[in-house]
Amino acid sequence: MTDSVAMGEGVSADAVGRTGPGWSDLGALCLTFFALGVTVNVLVLERVGSESLTVVAAIAINSATTELAYVAVRDAGGTQLAAVIAGWVVASRFGLLAVSLGARLRVGHWHRAAAGLQSFDPNVAFAIQQRSARDVVRVFWRVTAAMHVGWLSGIAVGVFLGNVIGDAQRFGLDAVFPAALLAIIGNLLRRRSGALAAAVGGGLCLVLIPIAPAGVPIIASLIGAVVALAVTSGDPT
Amino acid sequence: MSWPIVAVLAAGVWAQRLLGMFVGARVLSRQPALGRLAVLIPAAVVMAVIVQLTVGSGKSLTADARSFGMLVAGVLVWRRAPFVVVVLAAAAATALVRLI
Repeated sequence: MTDSVAMGEGVSADAVGRTGPGWSDLGALCLTFFALGVTVNVLVLERVGSESLTVVAAIAINSATTELAYVAVRDAGGTQLAAVIAGWVVASRFGLLAVSLGARLRVGHWHRAAAGLQSFDPNVAFAIQQRSARDVVRVFWRVTAAMHVGWLSGIAVGVFLGNVIGDAQRFGLDAVFPAALLAIIGNLLRRRSGALAAAVGGGLCLVLIPIAPAGVPIIASLIGAVVALAVTSGDPT
Repeated sequence: MSWPIVAVLAAGVWAQRLLGMFVGARVLSRQPALGRLAVLIPAAVVMAVIVQLTVGSGKSLTADARSFGMLVAGVLVWRRAPFVVVVLAAAAATALVRLI
């Protein structure tokens, strides 16, 4: 845990403050998930043709990347089985994020289960950068709430007004999610260990995208974390 | 995507999140030396997701408007710009390249 505690230091006016995200950060996250909700649900609705199924899928699966992966494999002519497996595989990162979050949570079982089911990149990344166990929980749910306000209104707009908006890509909405992720892990990248993990993980993914089955490049990026752990084990924490 | 497929996808996602929270976290807490992994895993996996979303196009790599948007985002993150500025600038830069 020493690594994450030390991470609070050196944080100044940028995205992640010691006391957690401010209102402008939460607003931006809300907008980000709104954009994601619109884009994903326009795509899914086009393919399933049922508004109710699109809404239930978005809320029950609770993972835009899983939906995107499933749709991508089906569009490429993959079987149902291949598409489902791809959807599961890309969601494995939520399991890993839940591990990171779980290691910092000091709460009861039901609370843990609820937090685990809501593990996403932004809320876990913001939460684990907090110093105290109390702040981890507080920041986690605050960011989760902001994300869901955006995601749920994005679903509504995508499903019921999708044909009015037209091509969401015209507004650069597809760049919103990766840019938000980069801003969120920005502080992790300022440390040698974090930068190395990201460089190896991202590099492996880049190399594997053209040759490995969908989803595998993201799983393989785990190796980046292991390499960084081994190489920087002597670093001050 | 049909109702049974939605149920199967949801079950897989729920199971992985709960396994990570209850089993994975317990293993980590028994191995304090591995506690650093809890920070390094998001750095590696989230960066891979960024790469996939930025230059991935199915099974091929492409450099398009998104790449330019992410370049702008990268510079702004490095310069410690506020979160909202990073997100809006990336979308604007991507939209601008598509417009040209």
